[in-house]
Amino acid sequence: MAQYSAELDGVFVALADPTRRAVVRRLGLGPTSVGELAREFPMTLPSFMKHVRTLESNGLIRTVKSGRVRTCVLNRERLALVDDWLAEQRRIWEERTDRLEQFVTGPEESSP
Amino acid sequence: MNPDLDLVLERIIRAPRATVWSAWTDPAKLAQWWVPAPSRCRVDRLEVRPGGAFVTRLSDDGAVYAPNLDACFLLVEELERLVFTNAVTSDWRPAIPEPVAMTATVTLTDHPDGTGYRVLVKHGDPESRARHEKLGFAEGWGMVTGQLAAVAEGLAAR
Repeated sequence: MAQYSAELDGVFVALADPTRRAVVRRLGLGPTSVGELAREFPMTLPSFMKHVRTLESNGLIRTVKSGRVRTCVLNRERLALVDDWLAEQRRIWEERTDRLEQFVTGPEESSP
Repeated sequence: MNPDLDLVLERIIRAPRATVWSAWTDPAKLAQWWVPAPSRCRVDRLEVRPGGAFVTRLSDDGAVYAPNLDACFLLVEELERLVFTNAVTSDWRPAIPEPVAMTATVTLTDHPDGTGYRVLVKHGDPESRARHEKLGFAEGWGMVTGQLAAVAEGLAAR
């Protein structure tokens, strides 16, 4: 997992904000224009654009300009990095709990 | 709980609460299940109290032991709850652990079949680190110290 570390750091930075997480969830439903997205969040357009840029620079979304409309598209592969990493953490804790369970229900533990 | 970054694990362990608690809080016992075989674990420090150290090392060959966890207990409620974080080391030094900081809460409850066992792991926010750097750490502290000095001198002059 170490090779992912730098990319993962960026993904965590991008996801460490509630607005950006909401944008990611919203884009999960399909590509949406910046203007349309911005209307859904109670902040100024410049503030919102900063979030969009953070998501884009960390590779969680791509933006495509067509005429005067900029559309945001979710980069699912990048998001899968977090899923993979979280799945890995879950596996570590699941297995750790398996070992604890075996340890406390094993023969040597029943006679302290 | 942030579903993107946190994880929860719940199960029933068929053993008394005291037994599970002791497996977590007795260094010799913890060492036997903390890491997957064939790796071996050494529990260097396990001070089960708020602010206490939680330090483990790990060996793949049984000869060389590498650092594994250097953490600090935040909360200890006998037989009920353990909370620890690796965002602060055993010496209370702020840390930036790889890949990301975490706080783990282990909760034990009574259950007809033994012990209700729940682990919540909250993963950190590297954003705060970036923000901190942007703010200019030294400048910020210099200013605060300056203000403190001014207040103290003001009091002294009364």
